[in-house]
Formats: sequence, C-alpha cells, structure tokens
Amino acid sequence: MKQMEITDYKGRVKPSWCPGCGNHAVLMALKKSMASLNYQTHDTAIVSGIGCSSRFPFFMSTYGFHSIHGRALPVAIGLKQANPDINVIAVGGDGDGLSIGGNHFIHAGRKNPNITYIMMDNEIYALTKGQCSPTSRIGTITKCNPYAWTADRINPVLMALSFNASYVARGYSGDVKQLETLITGGLKHKGFAFIHIISPCVQYNKVSSFEKIKEIVRNLPDNHDSSDRVNAMKYAFAPEGLYTGVFYKEERPAYEERYKAVIAKAKEIAGENYSIKDVIKQFQ
Amino acid sequence: MKDLLIKISGTSGQGIISSGDILSYATARKGYYVTTYRAFPSEIRGDGKCYYTLRISEHKALTATGDTDILVCLDEDTIYEGIKKISKNGILIYDSNLVSVLKETREDIVTYGIPLGAIAKELGSERSRNMVALGIVVGLIKNLHLEEQILKDIELRYKNKPPEVINSNKKALNAGVDYTKNKLARKDNYNNAEMKQTGAKLIMSGNEAIGLAALVSGCRFFSGYPITPATEIMEWLAKELPKFGGKMVQCEDEIAAINYALGASYAGVKAMTATSGPGFSLMQEALGLASMAEIPIVVADVQRCGPSTGVPTKTEQSDLFAAMYGTHGDCPKIVLAPMNVADCFYQTVNAFNFAEQYQVPVIILSDASLGPRRECVDLIDIEKLKIVNRQKPQLKEGDVYDRYKDTPSGISPITSPGDLYGEHVITGLEHTEGNAPTPAPEVHRQMTEKRFRKLETAAGQFSKAKTYGDDNASIGIISWGSTSGPVFEAIDKAEEAGIKVQALYPRTLYPLPTDWIKDFVKNKEVIIVIEANYNAQFKSTIVERCTHINKGTEVLEFLKYDGTPFTPEEIYEEIAKVSQLQQEKCELVTNKHTHF
Repeated sequence: MKQMEITDYKGRVKPSWCPGCGNHAVLMALKKSMASLNYQTHDTAIVSGIGCSSRFPFFMSTYGFHSIHGRALPVAIGLKQANPDINVIAVGGDGDGLSIGGNHFIHAGRKNPNITYIMMDNEIYALTKGQCSPTSRIGTITKCNPYAWTADRINPVLMALSFNASYVARGYSGDVKQLETLITGGLKHKGFAFIHIISPCVQYNKVSSFEKIKEIVRNLPDNHDSSDRVNAMKYAFAPEGLYTGVFYKEERPAYEERYKAVIAKAKEIAGENYSIKDVIKQFQ
Repeated sequence: MKDLLIKISGTSGQGIISSGDILSYATARKGYYVTTYRAFPSEIRGDGKCYYTLRISEHKALTATGDTDILVCLDEDTIYEGIKKISKNGILIYDSNLVSVLKETREDIVTYGIPLGAIAKELGSERSRNMVALGIVVGLIKNLHLEEQILKDIELRYKNKPPEVINSNKKALNAGVDYTKNKLARKDNYNNAEMKQTGAKLIMSGNEAIGLAALVSGCRFFSGYPITPATEIMEWLAKELPKFGGKMVQCEDEIAAINYALGASYAGVKAMTATSGPGFSLMQEALGLASMAEIPIVVADVQRCGPSTGVPTKTEQSDLFAAMYGTHGDCPKIVLAPMNVADCFYQTVNAFNFAEQYQVPVIILSDASLGPRRECVDLIDIEKLKIVNRQKPQLKEGDVYDRYKDTPSGISPITSPGDLYGEHVITGLEHTEGNAPTPAPEVHRQMTEKRFRKLETAAGQFSKAKTYGDDNASIGIISWGSTSGPVFEAIDKAEEAGIKVQALYPRTLYPLPTDWIKDFVKNKEVIIVIEANYNAQFKSTIVERCTHINKGTEVLEFLKYDGTPFTPEEIYEEIAKVSQLQQEKCELVTNKHTHF
C-alpha cells in the first residue's frame, strides 16, 4: 500500500473559497489526518450537500459526491451501508446540515453509521451571499433581515449529544493542530463522529469573525470525562465561552455492524444454498 | 365451465384479506388460473369496508371484475351493496346471526343465511367467522377439490404463529365444509361445478413481482419509507434481500430514502426505492440529481389517488406527468408502465437493465389496482433473462479518468469507490467531462446533449409495444399500465358483437415511442385513449408528441377518476358508443354524396 503524503490528496479543482476563509484550514487538517492514517484515495469517499463548504469534494483527489442541498448524510450513510469497506466522510455547512438537512442529522445520530461528519459552521449562508442561518447570532444584519434578526440560534453540539451521536467534538479553524487531532479521532472512531468546526466567513459575517471567535473559544478542561454525556451537555451549554475538544465519545456497534446480524439471521433461516430458484418456489 | 367470480366482503378487521389470500393461493396451487382484486381502507380496523374478489378460470383471466357468482358478506352493509351485482342463479352467503331478515333480496339468486358467528363461537372464537365462511364456499364448489390445499395453505400462512392458531383456523374451515354437506339444503347448482386444471404456475402480487424482479436483477440495496400501497415491496425485500447479503434500510423520510439509494448506487450496488404519490413528490429533486450526475437508480411509484394525501388505498394513473416532467430542468429518464402482474416482473428487470446501462433514473408506474393484486403468472425462466451490469472502464496507474466522457452513445464508463485509479467527483452541478463544475454555455449545451443522447441509444432496446385485437380494426385504443385487463376483455366482447377494435400498450412511456404510435394509428379512423386520471395525461402527451396523429385520426379520451379500476363493461359500452357514432358519420358522408 502506498504511503500517503498530504500532496497526494490534492484534487483536480483548485479551492474556490475566498482567501482567508476558515474552510482552507479544515481542508488542510483533513488531509493531514488522512495522511496520518494512510487513507488511500480509492478507498475514501467525501460526500457533501450544497454550500461553500460543500464544494470540498472537488478539492480532494479521493472519490467524491457533491449531492443536493441538505442531503450529504443520507447519501453518505447509503454509500457506507452499501460498501462498509469505504472510508466515508460527510462534509457541509450549518445551513446544509442544520436547516434543510436537519432531519437527517437526528437520524444519523441514532443510527450510528461508521462515518465522520464535519460541519463547517460560519453562522451564515455564504454561497448565496449572506443570509442568516440557524446558527446566526442575534444582531446579525443581512439583506434578508436589514433591521433585526429575530430567531435564536441552535446549538449543534448539544443537538448531536441529544441525538445519541457516539463521538462529538468541536474545533475552530484558527487552530489547525487541534482540528487535526479532533478529525483523526473522528476518523478512527467506529461510529457516527460529529465534528463541529467554527469556520468563520471573511466576506459576509462580521459578527462572528476570527477575532471575535478567538476571544470566546477555550479548550475543554483536561479533566473532562468524555464518557459523561450529561457533563458534556453542560459544556455545550456553557455561557462563559465556546468550548473545543472532544465532548463525548462512546463505543457502540455501528449501523453496518448491527446489520451483519440481520444478514446472519436471514441466512440462517434461509439455509445453505438458498437461491433465486428457492425464492420463486414461495410463489408456487 | 365458465369462470367463477367469488367476492368476500365485510368490515376491515374481519379477516377478509386473509381468507381471500388463502383461497387465491390454494386455487392457483391446485392448478387453476386466478386473478384477484383487493380493496380496503388504510385503517387496520375501523368502519371501512373491505373487499376481496377472485376470478377462478381455466384460461388466463384478465380481470377480477364482472358479476359475482358467490358473494360472501361478513357484515350487513356489504350485502345491499353487493346484491345487485350477483349473477343470475348466483349465491349470497350472509351471517344469519347478524341479519335475521334481509331488507332486500332477489328472486333470481340463491340466498343462504348461515349462523357463521354461532358456528365459530362453538369452536372457541367468533374471530374465525371468516374461515367458517371460506369453508362454506369450498363446500359449495366441492368439485374444484380445494379443501385439502386450503388446509395446507392455512398451515403455510400461519407457520410462525402458535399451533392453536393453525388448528382453530383449520377447524373453522372444516366446520364450514361440514355444514354444506350435512345441514345446508342446497338450492343452487354449483354442486357440480367443475374446472380444468392447467398445471403449475406462480401466484404473486404486482408489488411482489417488482420485489422479485429487483432481486433477480441483482439489486442488493433498497431504502424506503412506509407508504400505502407500495409498502409491500419494501416488506418483501426486507425479508429476502438479507438472505442474499443485500440490505433494506428504512429511512426517516422519502427524501432520505432516495438519497440513501443514490449513495448505494454510487458505491456500485444496484439500488432502488419504492413509493406512492406523496413520497414520489418528495423524491423529485433527487431524481434530477440522478439524471444530472448520471447515477443508475430504479424508483417504483405505486400510484394512488392524488393530489396530496388523496385516497391512499384507491387507484389512479395520475402521476404520469410527475414521472415524465416532475423534476425541474431538462432531465433524461425512462418511465415504464407494466400492464399486469407478470409485466411488473419483466418491466422491473428492464428498469434495472436500463438504469445500469444508461445511467439514468428509471421510474416504474404501477398503481393501487395492480400493486396489491394477486394474479397467476406463467413460470419464469430466470436463466433466460438478460441481466445488464454497468460498463466499467479499463484503467491503469497514471490514467486520467474522466467520469463524464462524451461518447457517441452518450454512455461514459463508470467506476465506484474502491476501484483503483477511478477516483472522481460526481455532482448535480453542470460539469465538464472531467467532472469539474462549470457555468460555461458550450459545456452545458454539450453535456445536456450527451445526457439525452443516452435515451436515443436506449430507444432500440425498449420492449415492443403490446397490441391486442384485430390489425384491420378502424377503432384503436391506446392506453397504459394496469388498464390492460379490462381493455382486452372489452375488446373480446366487442369482437363477439362484431365490432373490431385494436389496442396498443407502449410499456415505455418516456421517452415516448412515437414510431409505434404512428404505425398503429395508420389505418385507424378513431383512437380512444383510456386512462385513470382527469387530465388525460397520456392523451395530451400523445397529441403533443405525435403531431402526425392530429391530421387524419380523431383522438378521443375515456377517463375514470373515482378511485376504482376500469371494468370491461364500461369500456365495452364506450367502444359500442364510438362505433355507433362512426357508423352514423359514415352514413352522413354517404348521404351527403348522394345528395350532391
């Protein structure tokens, strides 16, 4: 097997993100993580929906599926279920994953497919040139809400924890080194790994800029017990700042693993040498 | 002897479907032809009425419609609904414990009020009333020798239930049969009814036929969301797919269902989903993705009355426009319409072959009258079936693989994750041959043409349109899907009455095979387009797409949109009316000539 270098993951399309966009750091961190785990390009698929961050697959040399708005997770889970040997990584933004695709996030958490879901949260719809998203803060002014933004934000980490996701982490585009650690942890995790990355938009979101985010991020305390979901929720709620690190980690059988038992049981009932001809017999 | 039409009716929850199913399986296994029609409300138990109609015959019966020879009513309401439709000298069986005096009766039929409830109660439970009634039917037509087979079928149907269930059902059946032998004063003449057995055949529902064909075609991934009347496909594949290492995934909604299937297909596994109207609407965007990103996928739409939630359990053919044009953009896809249960099997095999070969979404349009209907199917020779797999490129290290290579056929060889040197990104964005997104006008034009070229390549492969009736007929019927049974029967009836009619059923509805239609209308004076929707969706498609049809031939429509399937009688009446008008017109022309 080829020893992979970061440069081996360079895609045929040059990243189209604005200079300074937080997503460049995520791209670099994922490449580093993949190289460290020696992920082969032909055994890896990156699946996305629609949005700035969803252009991600084009910038990689692996297999990729740039699908439709909000549907990265169902495509990714279907792919993984059909061929569990493939490393499947779903990527996308806050609008894609929490608004239009929110329903799939819930069910990915409970089904626990062995995939990694990287959400790049810039708290804005950037591809459509700046409208509020489910994570936009009160005070954000855009052309769609020129006077006031009236909805409260949702908390993606808290959601993932309550949806029964088995690996929940948060990082920040200003810290590539930590991102690499969190993503590597997610890739190695056998189950649904959700990594929430605060990835500021330099063009359309002045409220949550790199500078402002930098002021509020802080590492989870060293003594945080990542097997304690309730405690993890407390940190996800924390009013004093935006915690980063691994909130929660739990080992439980992945979706595809559990399905193996279904196949085993069905085959046992069917018996050896069960063939299409036997299937047809039930109609005779 | 002539065909035997048996109808079991009552209130939902009384076991109408179970007894009907058992009777139809046993009849088919005994070597008779049987076709059925089931109608039931979506509530498991409620006020809704439930009907199970079977037509038993020596030849392949096309529909389970017409006058009832034996009507079994487990409640009172269905007696008065059904009594008018009993054939002359036919039989009405009702529960005399429920109904002491019939409010309405007929002189020319035989009525048997039988204490079904009391007989069942004596055996332990009133719940087995349906089996007592079934026993009565079997006893009445004793020369069809169904008793033994039915007992076997009861065992088979309840094999996973406790033995008491099997025994009580068997006892109830026997009690019914005994009643006809020992207690019933026979007034009918079905005692000597006999029928020729015609050998081994299969019996399955339209939904099961689609599931079976998927399995045979190599489909190993199904994702779906429960919806009436399509759920049976999902249930059947949930049972069978894992036995072959395949997977059935129940999703959070229909949007997820089709996207799971697209993910699986991208992984290189033949994949499908099945749904009905509301779910089909939700799937439209992803169908466009499949078309744009060229991902093979099969979607079965078992149509029901729409729009919106409509009438979930009743039939309609009103999703044709949605299937052909539902997705935004110029969207190549293939739409197939099976004509009967056997055709559900063969068109589904075609659907997978087309999807895999041409990398397009293929939609199968079944409906609520076809999906749940059990029918005899001739034995299937799986060795003779042609199964197509997607075309893979030959790649070696250093090759640059362009996923969307423009080729004369429009088909670009396809790789899947796991294949060495085949890495690529697929996308719903317009893209170059080398899968890079682009808004360039010349690329969008070129790639649109490339995608549609696949349909031109595919056109030669479509199943020939089915014709029925006299080649020299001046009246033509063009129709699609599940109407074929009543239409063919009506044509036979017209033939007997001296009216020549020929029908055309193009199983491929999109792209529309205009050549076949052109050939068909050549010698026809008038065409009746028959379909179960208000908007004459197929007729307007024909008129729009086949402009040549407008010139010499009159195109009429005969539509039905009350949720019930067409009957041969109403189609025959329409044919007779049109034929009469044609004759009058001829006379008018002749008179005119004389006059001038």
